[in-house]
Amino acid sequence: MPAITRRRFLTSTTGAGLAGILAMRTAPARGQQREVSYLCWNNFAPLMDKKLAEIGQRFTKDTGIKLKIDHIAAAQQAAKYASEVQSQAGHDMVEMRMHFPWLYEGQLVDLGDVVAELEKKYGKVLSSAAETARVHGTWRAVPQYHAMFVATYREDLFKKAGLKVPDTWEDLYTVGKELKKMGNPVGIPISQNYDSISTAGPVLWSYGGLEVDKDGKTVRINSPQTAQMIEWYKKMFRDCMEPEVLSWDDASNNQAIQQGKAGWIHNPVSAYIVAKQMKLPTADTINHHRTPGGPAGRHETDVPRHIGIWKFSKNAEPAKEFIRYLLGKRETYDEFIMSADAFNLPVYDKLQDHPVLKTDPKYAGLRAEGVQYHCYGWPAPPSDKVQLITNSFIMPNMIAKAVTGTSTKDAITWAESEMKKVMAG
Amino acid sequence: MTRRKLTRRIAMHLLLVPFLVFALFPFYHMLLTSLKQNKELYDRTAVPLLIRQGPTLEHYTKLLWDTAFLTWTKNSLLVTMISTFVSLIIATVAAYALARLQFFAVASLGTAIFVTYLVPTSLLFLPLAQVVNWLGLGDSKWALVVTYPTFLVPFCTWLLMGYFRTVPKEVEECAMVDGATRIQALWRIVLPIAVPGLVCAALFAFTLSWNEFIYALTFTSSSEQITASVGVTSELIRGDIYYWGSLMAGAVLASVPIVVLYVFFLDYYVSGLTAGAIK
Amino acid sequence: MSPALLLLLLLVAYPFCMALYFSVSNAFIGRPSHFIGIRNFLNLWQSDAFRQTFQNAFVFTGAAVGAKLVLGISLAMLLDQQLWFKRLIRGAVLLPWVIPTALSTLGWWWMFNSLYSVVNWTGLTLGLMDPPGPNWLGQKYYAMTAVVVVNIWRGLPFFVITILAGLVAIPRELYEAAEADGAGAFARFWHVTLPLLKPVLAIVVLFSTIFTFSDFNIVFVLTHGGPINSTHLFATLARQVGLETGRIGEGAAISLYLSPVLMLVVFAQLRFVRKQAY
Repeated sequence: MPAITRRRFLTSTTGAGLAGILAMRTAPARGQQREVSYLCWNNFAPLMDKKLAEIGQRFTKDTGIKLKIDHIAAAQQAAKYASEVQSQAGHDMVEMRMHFPWLYEGQLVDLGDVVAELEKKYGKVLSSAAETARVHGTWRAVPQYHAMFVATYREDLFKKAGLKVPDTWEDLYTVGKELKKMGNPVGIPISQNYDSISTAGPVLWSYGGLEVDKDGKTVRINSPQTAQMIEWYKKMFRDCMEPEVLSWDDASNNQAIQQGKAGWIHNPVSAYIVAKQMKLPTADTINHHRTPGGPAGRHETDVPRHIGIWKFSKNAEPAKEFIRYLLGKRETYDEFIMSADAFNLPVYDKLQDHPVLKTDPKYAGLRAEGVQYHCYGWPAPPSDKVQLITNSFIMPNMIAKAVTGTSTKDAITWAESEMKKVMAG
Repeated sequence: MTRRKLTRRIAMHLLLVPFLVFALFPFYHMLLTSLKQNKELYDRTAVPLLIRQGPTLEHYTKLLWDTAFLTWTKNSLLVTMISTFVSLIIATVAAYALARLQFFAVASLGTAIFVTYLVPTSLLFLPLAQVVNWLGLGDSKWALVVTYPTFLVPFCTWLLMGYFRTVPKEVEECAMVDGATRIQALWRIVLPIAVPGLVCAALFAFTLSWNEFIYALTFTSSSEQITASVGVTSELIRGDIYYWGSLMAGAVLASVPIVVLYVFFLDYYVSGLTAGAIK
Repeated sequence: MSPALLLLLLLVAYPFCMALYFSVSNAFIGRPSHFIGIRNFLNLWQSDAFRQTFQNAFVFTGAAVGAKLVLGISLAMLLDQQLWFKRLIRGAVLLPWVIPTALSTLGWWWMFNSLYSVVNWTGLTLGLMDPPGPNWLGQKYYAMTAVVVVNIWRGLPFFVITILAGLVAIPRELYEAAEADGAGAFARFWHVTLPLLKPVLAIVVLFSTIFTFSDFNIVFVLTHGGPINSTHLFATLARQVGLETGRIGEGAAISLYLSPVLMLVVFAQLRFVRKQAY
């Protein structure tokens, strides 16, 4: 008897409860109403998000297609996208940062036609964006803008000490020694975060070194060029930086320069712009200069962002219309970029000299003549094995080992064996 | 009170001080951070323990008016209260049934309960996302109400099982001989005795739901549906820019009402416990 | 019966089985997967990062659960006494458990922050440290200490509440009888309190161990697993490999690596507790 009573109780309540919950879902729109949804990151520049919403509303008015924009933190994108792919449901358009199109290749719609239109208007896509958005010859996402790293420094301190703006990484060492003596050391993170890779990469590339070769298979980290890069880091750590950089996260270098401690950091413009917004006393003293170079050229880390459309989406055509609306018309694209206050810059060849760079003299350093932009893992195409090497922070860990006592040779050997293990499978 | 007893009392309180400092200091620090102006927050010569340059409410106003914090908190409260309630009901019924089962089954069922926790939610969320989608609950806080009991019910059941087992069978049998049904016996005899256990289970369920992050992140997307911890960390951490003042304001606001709730119930809970002990 | 059973199957059985399947397959985000047996588990052992994570997990859990146990018993015993401001004190002690973890961990990050660390500032001011104070999150053993401390901070209330409930249930007569027999405070604790608390302690330690092993948020926010993988736990490594790189099969294997062992431990422990109590 107890079992029956309990069972009936459970059945009736569960049934009622579930029915109630399912009934509360809103019924899908029927009829002519077309709808698209877009999952976007929470932009550095909140104003750009607002502008996006505004453009979205205009889009709805002009085309009758309803647009829903949701935002998510950059750090949470991996988990969210994985769940959307797993459940084959979610948003129609998703923001694809850097090499994400490679990760989700099989799940993204071919957007070659949209990109071709944009390239005809604006010129070729920058190499870093093209390397990441075009997967095995097919455009899996449409590049929209990029935020590149740039050298950020305390102009007032340089003037006070009569220091020259460094043009090479060696120059940085010379200047850095003086800065540390003044109590304003250089701040380059050497820890398990992406900012560390964003600096280690350019330094390595400028010495001519690389992690994995263009063929995407051969590990080339064990080279004299890597040794040069490590020796550089060792002396930087010893004479120009403080040990705290071993614990830095992505925001630490921003904070270091914003509160007046660091004399030189390597970061996108976020450090300066936030200082400006918060009216910090250091804001006036911060300026940017062109990325330093090395014997093998001037290389820089780039963070391009693209828009992709999931294959499971039933609204691919309206979604493409939105992308065309947002990026296709010159005035709208300009409006979009201007709202970002130079956080995010155009990623097409003919638009490099954008008016937004003239809105503040401090953006002159962003113009970056002669700088080649790459994403993590260059020159290897960002296959999932190369991405695992990046995500495992093998390069920063190698440097961390070297600056905390391991010999250069041993550190490189360790990194090589770790990378080979990843490539092997 | 004798002098010796007073000294002992004071000693007890002094022993508590390090624990209290340890528990409360981070909260104090977060509160302070939420009230400091940005220029003081970023001033490395500033004293971290005090506000020297004047407090400000700008972080709170930014949090409350510039973000949908109130909506998110409402969602959190709704999801937490409903899932706690649902989980308690299911756990009570299950625990009652299990408490009356034989000895052997109990050990294996106890193991089964813990085994469900061996697969962490950070892995379960992927297949669960599929299920949520099949149920048509994608991007909805109701998805949370449906999925939270999966990790709340096992522990609550286990907890309540212990309490129910302390109620002697004879008391219920008496009542049923007098004409009460099982349900009535449960409601009138067993539950009143097990109230401390229920309160305890409710507190745990409430806290675990309130704290939950990964399901909330995955199963909700729109600003109207997300919960407080997802909303705050999403909105106020943009790339490498952290809005520290408002983040800490979010931490403070997200805890104060819950603390008040807890303090109220804890009193009840402990008085219920001591009453039980005396009996 | 059917809707309840269906829900149970969908919400519990299916994800559970899928998760197990992932760990024995080569699942990758968005690609079809194949069963590969225990190859993931075997391959993981080749990885330096994984071996380090394995060690970290035991150190982290051992230290944190051990400390929580000792401190939990102590604090519960203190709270069991007659106290002034009892309600406030108990509320205060509960606070760490109640603040949403995602946010309180950020608060701790700010506290350990190399630039503004209030921990270092206090240490320096009190003369306990030499400038500039330890680099909490950047040095190998300090980082592990920091994450253990935060875990203790957050998990202690759970121990305290549960042990307090167990303490209150011990009849006063037993203490009075022991005292009459001439037992001092420590002897009373050892011979009356501890044995009667054993079932509660066993369960709370078991539960806490499972949760501490699978902790994610603290390490993720404070150190991201660093420096040089010295604080990586199963959950954080699983995210790095599984979600960020797309290798769901490997990520699942990492998350579930200890499950068979833990399952045996759980079973044995529960058997032990039943025997003890009855």
